[in-house]
Amino acid sequence: MNARSRAARALLLAVLLAAGAACSLIDQGTEILGKAEDAVAKGDKAVKAYGKLRSAFGDFTEEEEYYIGRSVAALILGRYPALNDAALNLYVNKVGNAVALSSERPEIFAGWHFQALDTDEVNAMAAPGGMIFITKGLLKRCPDEESLALILAHEVGHVAARHGLQSIRKANVTEAFTSIGLEAIKTYGPEQLARVTAAFEGVLGDIVGTLVERGYDRKLEYEADESAVLFGCRTGYDPAGLARFLKTMVGDMSAVSGKGWFKTHPAPEQRIDRVQAEIDRLQPVPAPAAVRTQRFKSAVSAVR
Amino acid sequence: MKHPRKAVLAAGVLAVFCLAAAADVLVVKIQSTQIRAQAQFFAPVVAGLKAGDALTQIGVSGAWIQVRTAAGLSGWIHQSAVEVPRYALAAAAGGTRTQATASEAALAGKGFNKQVEENFRTGHAEADYASVDRMLQNKMLWSQLKEFLDQGKLGGGR
Repeated sequence: MNARSRAARALLLAVLLAAGAACSLIDQGTEILGKAEDAVAKGDKAVKAYGKLRSAFGDFTEEEEYYIGRSVAALILGRYPALNDAALNLYVNKVGNAVALSSERPEIFAGWHFQALDTDEVNAMAAPGGMIFITKGLLKRCPDEESLALILAHEVGHVAARHGLQSIRKANVTEAFTSIGLEAIKTYGPEQLARVTAAFEGVLGDIVGTLVERGYDRKLEYEADESAVLFGCRTGYDPAGLARFLKTMVGDMSAVSGKGWFKTHPAPEQRIDRVQAEIDRLQPVPAPAAVRTQRFKSAVSAVR
Repeated sequence: MKHPRKAVLAAGVLAVFCLAAAADVLVVKIQSTQIRAQAQFFAPVVAGLKAGDALTQIGVSGAWIQVRTAAGLSGWIHQSAVEVPRYALAAAAGGTRTQATASEAALAGKGFNKQVEENFRTGHAEADYASVDRMLQNKMLWSQLKEFLDQGKLGGGR
């Protein structure tokens, strides 16, 4: 074999090797794309598997909880007007966010938000997703920042444990997930949109009815009191602030009207002993501070 | 290739699946958050994150998780801001090891969403969404909260 034919053979070999490599790459590419398509199919299966798993209140996503909460908040604000006092709302937001930071859910979908309501009715309510309301009537009765912090911590406790979503009737939870379906679609056609909206309406009705009319099960109220004492202590608030507030409510004449707080919460007498037992269990607990009482008085003076 | 877009999409999906195959993948479940230099609120912010961002878990300290972002930055995030990808949970519950987080992004916005809220609003003039939007616009700044806690001699998760 002369030098020329050796070079030709080498070139042919190189071309064959390159072609082989290219074929191999093409094969690999085809295989990768095949796997990707397979993965898409598997992903779709997983979507359906996930959809089938959704059956209880805890299966609402954080984003769905936020949308439920927005509408619950809108219905509450439709009944009770917002108190538009920027300084007061800022103060309530600071106290509320301080205790929320010590809860199990310091980070929540759109952050924690607190709003004063312009009504003399004594009440506090929490919409899912961290939108919390306190009435002017209740603010007037708070003796100090500790009491306000513990009342807001009680409401944070309801949200952190998803009590609002727990109040949705089982049939409405089932209808919600059935109407949403198993496909990963974000934009509904008219027929499905009507069905999902009807399910949404059912969910809202259950939650608003509980918050405004029926109240939570007593077990959940006591649980929220325990959370309030714990979050308050973790933040540095004297948890006895809750017991102090509850004592001011014993024998209150507003209780006769059976509205708001009195309608939706257990009697204060029944809560005081339990709250005290929880405080005793957590000893030693933080003490009140004069600096906080002072800023509380200055912040809520507008509504007193 | 007849469907180049489909191929690119499929390759992208595969890449995400490969990422998910790595152990300890988490996703951000809230609208926006940050990773911090230490395992505590008010520590310096390392990076901002948004819903659906994937993170790799590299450590744990109490309620705080040490994570690495897709861009390679590492820091700490509170456990309430993240979750194990839900499709991975579904696959595990089904007894299959489907490497599934690719559809995680598809889940965002599914279910009760803006479209459902808007449809509900058309029939419920009594619901005051304008006040809700005003309420949600008031965002508490970390610096404001820190000042409030310091002034009141409070701890607040620190």
